[in-house]
Amino acid sequence: MNGRFRPAVLVGSGTRRIIAVVFALACVAFVLLPRHAQFFIHDVGQPLADVVAIPIESMASLTRGLRDGWNQVFSFHTISEQNHELHQRVQQLRGELNQWQERALAADRLAALVEFQQHTPIRTVAAQVIGRSTSNWYQGVVLNKGEHDGIRVEMGVMTPAGVVGQIVKTTGSTSIVLLMTDPNVAILGLVQRTRDEGIVQGTPQSHVWMKYIPPLSPVRKGDVVVTSGLTDGFPRGVLIGEVARIEEREGDLFQTADIVPVVNFQRMEEVLIVTSPQPVEAMLSIEQALDSRENENAAQ
Amino acid sequence: MKRLASIPFMLLLVPVQVTLLPSLSLFGIRPDLCLVAACLVGLFAGRVRGGVLGFFLGFVQDFFFAGTLWLNTLTKAAVGYLSGVVAKNVSTTAWYSAFFSMLVFSVASGTVFLLVARQGMDMGVVFHGISAVLFPQAVLDGLVSLVAHWIFSRWMGHAPSG
Repeated sequence: MNGRFRPAVLVGSGTRRIIAVVFALACVAFVLLPRHAQFFIHDVGQPLADVVAIPIESMASLTRGLRDGWNQVFSFHTISEQNHELHQRVQQLRGELNQWQERALAADRLAALVEFQQHTPIRTVAAQVIGRSTSNWYQGVVLNKGEHDGIRVEMGVMTPAGVVGQIVKTTGSTSIVLLMTDPNVAILGLVQRTRDEGIVQGTPQSHVWMKYIPPLSPVRKGDVVVTSGLTDGFPRGVLIGEVARIEEREGDLFQTADIVPVVNFQRMEEVLIVTSPQPVEAMLSIEQALDSRENENAAQ
Repeated sequence: MKRLASIPFMLLLVPVQVTLLPSLSLFGIRPDLCLVAACLVGLFAGRVRGGVLGFFLGFVQDFFFAGTLWLNTLTKAAVGYLSGVVAKNVSTTAWYSAFFSMLVFSVASGTVFLLVARQGMDMGVVFHGISAVLFPQAVLDGLVSLVAHWIFSRWMGHAPSG
């Protein structure tokens, strides 16, 4: 064969065949092993993943340094820095404002039951984005915190501005977050003004939409969507985004809304992993207490 | 010696894929360096080496991948092995056969990813995946394989033929 590189034969054809069979069996095991038994494979690869995580962290800081250097040399340094700071501040304030609005609404509705509103403090772990998922098919980012830091699968990830996504995989020192813009992510959302619930899901075009909004809901453009607190990993009232457009086709049983996420996923550098969201049971007990209170008021 | 030197280089492919490539993506699409490496090693060094290297690269890649655990392991191992089979049956491993092999394997591997990642979603989503991810990535993979083929040929002491 012209131009083909033929390496020196180090192993006999019998050994090669054994190697091929072993790897073929390993491949079959990968597919046939039930999901709950795949922890074995995960454990085997864990040390290797930890080793690979070291150059990832180094390269991430190198990339960040290069990017910062590039920005400082070739752009209007001060303006860019101020703009970045102001942008972050605006995002943070929007997040805070939204939290306050949500709390004010809750306080109005649950005034008589304020003793039930002892919010379990949300415990979070700060993490840095050190890379992107290795494939174009999933929109994910790699964080520099993993199992050693108490991070587990299905924990929610947010910034001070709002929801980012959910942890789908962990190694000892890293974790993978599937972003909210991925079609495989679904979070239960709540339209803050109308209190209607729906499922917030990503689209292949990296947009976000809210499905299954009740047909009679008066939801409109500009309405704020927050987490309902019933999805694993997120407390109630974390900002998701704003309604940009309502889609209501004739014959459809539900309305669908396009949501503009509040977080800029391309420029995100630090995130918070929610390790202890408000327990759902507490929210249910508040709702039950509210119902009984309303019944009492009606009786009076 | 060259083969030993290639081990750390191969292990660095995943960190490069995770950290550097997102900054160099074209319209949000990145080439899959591990797929290109598995394919070229299969073409140059035979099916067993291609399959084994593809298996290991895919295995490591799976830990930094937001999807199913075995997807990269299996596709890269298969691509490495099959490209070795192709090399055995074609008359040359010149740049054009590397490019077209890469194109075909990237489309095949992308189809597996498409079926898993967009499972149960409507046809519009599937067609979007084909036009916006599968084909653009295959072209990028092909182009990267051309560059890698040139480097590989020089490194292994063989000028690309054809």
